Amino acid sequence: MTEIYRTISTGRGDDVSPTKCRERRRRRIEMRRQAAVFGEPSSSRNRDRTDMEVYSSFDVPLRKQARRSEIGGLPADIGGFLAPPAASSCQKSEAPVWKGEETEDEPLYGIVSVMGRSRKMEDSVTVKPNLCKPEVNRQRPVHFFAVYDGHGGSQVSTLCSTTMHTFVKEELEQNLEEEEEGSENDVVERKWRGVMKRSFKRMDEMATSTCVCGTSVPLCNCDPREAAISGSTAVTAVLTHDHIIVANTGDSRAVLCRNGMAIPLSNDHKPDRPDERARIEAAGGRVLVVDGARVEGILATSRAIGDRYLKPMVAWEPEVTFMRRESGDECLVLASDGLWDVLSSQLACDIARFCLREETPSSLDLNRMAQEDDNDGEQNPSRSVLAATLLTRLALGRQSSDNISVVVIDLKNSSQ
Amino acid sequence: MEANGIENLTNPNQEREFIRRHHKHELVDNQCSSTLVKHINAPVHIVWSLVRRFDQPQKYKPFISRCVVKGNMEIGTVREVDVKSGLPATRSTERLELLDDNEHILSIRIVGGDHRLKNYSSIISLHPETIEGRIGTLVIESFVVDVPEGNTKDETCYFVEALIKCNLKSLADISERLAVQDTTESRV
Repeated sequence: MTEIYRTISTGRGDDVSPTKCRERRRRRIEMRRQAAVFGEPSSSRNRDRTDMEVYSSFDVPLRKQARRSEIGGLPADIGGFLAPPAASSCQKSEAPVWKGEETEDEPLYGIVSVMGRSRKMEDSVTVKPNLCKPEVNRQRPVHFFAVYDGHGGSQVSTLCSTTMHTFVKEELEQNLEEEEEGSENDVVERKWRGVMKRSFKRMDEMATSTCVCGTSVPLCNCDPREAAISGSTAVTAVLTHDHIIVANTGDSRAVLCRNGMAIPLSNDHKPDRPDERARIEAAGGRVLVVDGARVEGILATSRAIGDRYLKPMVAWEPEVTFMRRESGDECLVLASDGLWDVLSSQLACDIARFCLREETPSSLDLNRMAQEDDNDGEQNPSRSVLAATLLTRLALGRQSSDNISVVVIDLKNSSQ
Repeated sequence: MEANGIENLTNPNQEREFIRRHHKHELVDNQCSSTLVKHINAPVHIVWSLVRRFDQPQKYKPFISRCVVKGNMEIGTVREVDVKSGLPATRSTERLELLDDNEHILSIRIVGGDHRLKNYSSIISLHPETIEGRIGTLVIESFVVDVPEGNTKDETCYFVEALIKCNLKSLADISERLAVQDTTESRV
């Protein structure tokens, strides 16, 4: 709370300066353009007007929310946005692709994935609505979401983003004869856990045997001197009508926003987590503090896909959460540690649900354009994108020094 | 030493002699030192072809992404090494102290960078041996380094040993693959 309060004070001081106001406006324009949600405003006049409307519209609901100091921090933090130009040019965002007939069967989501202040882009995001209709889900569709944060190069995170969901699909479509002991829910949960664990294992085996050119090593014709690649975290979420299944390896994170409360669906794998330290030491390794706690003094996450030369201390095995959906579920946030290092889960939850609320003023530029574009008046794809965008901007404003990837899934309007 | 019954031409006495002859380090207060040994199933000339590339350590070191050398490959040459992301450093400046193509010895000293390895010096030497009747290489790498503030000697040695173990494991993997390729090509 103290940190947020100080941010507010500093931010309000900044608000007074005309120069900083103009600079802030320019950055908002740049950010919205880079978010690539909708086309650019056609004239500078419209652009200026839109900006002022966007900014002023935050004041109205925020005053009503005076007691929520975390929300009160929004304008100040947003005003502090300081993206370096070089990083901005590497930003990429994906707007959802809406298909008329399938819209009501697919979840609403927003993605933002940016290099931020890092030297390279090593994050990767995958979203696969309607991945398949497996027996374990009574032949109804399941939707797949994932964030991968690579280290030591982007090879493993890229490999995960192209392959992990195909493993999940294959594992779901196998009809393994497993024991049917226990209640129906127990059987379903056990099957899902098995699917996710086997998928992660196959992904890790592929990552540790693949050359940088992407071929499996025995088949590869590359100079073998380039064979060493590094690793990636992986946080995945499968969404069904009844459940959310999260599998996580590493220090990316999944958070469920339920009735305003942030519920962690993953637990960061850090070397100084007591049970992780115990596992590492049992595997013959050590945790040393070298610029933070690191496995063998080398790696800051205690689990990862790949990292051949740090196994078995750096393990591949995911922790799986099997969560039943409830009517109070508002949204699901998946993100890399570039976000979580500077934003608490609860704050991210508050910001996301604020953006997703139906009563958010329609004067917001993104929402108005969404309504014009969308045939179905009830659908507002821009709200999830807005949430992901704001979270990213806030993380950059709070000096995040890593790649930032954010996926926000609107659960209120995702009945499937 | 290997405890799994592998027969080695080199024995503990020979290893100690190699270490005594090639791996001398002058230690001062608050420094630590250690020596690591690795047996590789590949002939010396293949392993050396990787180790001697002062200008391209990324050929076998898994944590290095790039290396730039200014000037020729001679004593005193300095290389600028870029370290891969996610590790507790981004760059290292290293000087070539010794390169002996006859005895297969390479020595470097770290002279700069944003890491915590101050006054680091290492020596790596290769020695022919026979492993289960096949030609192999005994690799010995030793180092000396200052103990950083906030860490113990034991921790510092452990950390550097962990890095070197990764390097030697990668060196073994790549050398053995090259050796297999050599054998395959020579049969065609």
